[in-house]
Amino acid sequence: MLNMHAVKESRAGLTEIESEYIARSLMRQSPTVTPQNTSFEVLDLLATHHEVIGLPVLENGRAIGLINRNIFNDEMAKPFRRDLYGRKSCIAFMDKQPLVVNEQMSIQELSFKVIAGGGKTLNDGFIITDNDGMYLGIGTGEDLVKVVSYLQAEKNRLVMESINYASVIQKSFMRSSREDMAEALEDYFIHWEPRDKVGGDYYFCKKFHDGFFIALIDCTGHGVPGAFMTLIMAAFLDHILLEDNRHDPAGALALMNQKVKTALGQISEQNIVPIDGGKHDHHDKSDDGMDTAFCWVSQAENKMVYAGAKTPLFLLGLGDTEITIIEGDKKGVGYVDTPMDYTWRNQEIRLDKGMSVYLTTDGIIDQIGGSKEIAFGKKRFCRLLLEQRAKPMAAQAPAIMKAFYEYQGSQRRRDDVSFLGFRI
Amino acid sequence: MHDFYLARTSHSPEINFQFSRHHLSMTGEAYPENANDFFLPVLGQLKHYLDHTDGQHIVFDFRLTYFNSAATKMLYTLFGLLNESASTRNRITLNWFHDVEDDTILEFGEGIQDDFLALDFHAIAEDLAAA
Repeated sequence: MLNMHAVKESRAGLTEIESEYIARSLMRQSPTVTPQNTSFEVLDLLATHHEVIGLPVLENGRAIGLINRNIFNDEMAKPFRRDLYGRKSCIAFMDKQPLVVNEQMSIQELSFKVIAGGGKTLNDGFIITDNDGMYLGIGTGEDLVKVVSYLQAEKNRLVMESINYASVIQKSFMRSSREDMAEALEDYFIHWEPRDKVGGDYYFCKKFHDGFFIALIDCTGHGVPGAFMTLIMAAFLDHILLEDNRHDPAGALALMNQKVKTALGQISEQNIVPIDGGKHDHHDKSDDGMDTAFCWVSQAENKMVYAGAKTPLFLLGLGDTEITIIEGDKKGVGYVDTPMDYTWRNQEIRLDKGMSVYLTTDGIIDQIGGSKEIAFGKKRFCRLLLEQRAKPMAAQAPAIMKAFYEYQGSQRRRDDVSFLGFRI
Repeated sequence: MHDFYLARTSHSPEINFQFSRHHLSMTGEAYPENANDFFLPVLGQLKHYLDHTDGQHIVFDFRLTYFNSAATKMLYTLFGLLNESASTRNRITLNWFHDVEDDTILEFGEGIQDDFLALDFHAIAEDLAAA
């Protein structure tokens, strides 16, 4: 019989949990009868064993049918039935084709079979046999539902625990960037909000004696695969950002591009997924990369060098009445359709005292919301930046995010959201 | 060949390829869990149709309000197929529907216009609130 306490004690891992529960876990011992038993005997047996819903009928140790309590009682209650069938074999009103399963059958396969059997199997239960087809016991639909719900909850718990901890790792991974930002800047904010606890967005900041390098990165995908990509990118970026090329963000992008394409094998025509190719051969081909803005900021020289891969820069000078959007280049980094020798442009921007610089991934701009269910858009974003300009940076982020959440309303979040700003 | 239709879901657009009328449309949003799995059959159908169509005026109505980066790659492949056909065998009109306030979709469309010059591109502003 199903012991829910023992079930809950289990500490199986995600891959084991499926195999730990099989049809045998649901097995109950039940009274049985044989074709030699009469219908009267079955009536007596059902009267004394109130818990029995399905009564197995065995012949030479094999199940040949299952008697359903209600059907049997109803049939026997009809006029003349007791006289006609009472002393005859009990098999007259049994279900001759109950579901019979091997004790080793997985809970998943069993569930599908029970559902395919319709209400009958869920109600009457099913017969469990050994490898030789000999009867072992019965299982009930109720126990099956209990175990399936438990497995579902347990799998969710294991996945969520795993992702929650992955999120701790991903956050701590960005700690040195946060520390460097805090050292390099006084008036700034960083808002990182992955859609699924972990994600493909990430930020990077490294302080040097003559300035700092800052990047906002949107890797392909979100969730766990997106987070994997951020780790790959971060490892490359750490290697690439040596003393000299920090002043050359475009050069750093080109190096990243080469590294990513080589590492993920995204270099040849072969990697382009064929349109006519069947469904079977494209699963191991990746086309991953990142959209990003790489910036070198030198406060001493009052300048910044920006190179963008599909990630614009938003600027607001002290006397400006409008946000200036500096567009980067149209190619992402590392993708199959970005050539190995692609070069990005460095754009030099003069930074005057009081100038604000903002970077965001497309998660804010592209989010669907509002009464028309259309994208948030750059115009709305720029209008918000202007409205909030008087506040310290740290106070701007919550105000802008509040407007964003209101716009999103009941719409599903479409992507990871990252957003940073600093004032010189 | 037969027309091709896929109903809209929360993560994928309606695909209504009326090949018999040379009228194709895509409506909704595109951020399927696996963009390859969703788009490859769509692209396969389109390619087959274009391979067997000559001297026609094909109209493509594009009405997406959101697509993620994986879907964007697939859309580029799709417009590439249309562009190739438009530069050799057929006349292809791409009607790019966007809400009057949707600068994001309009801007993306302008990029498509610049990148696929053989397509007869028309940006069409609508007011979705009135719809």
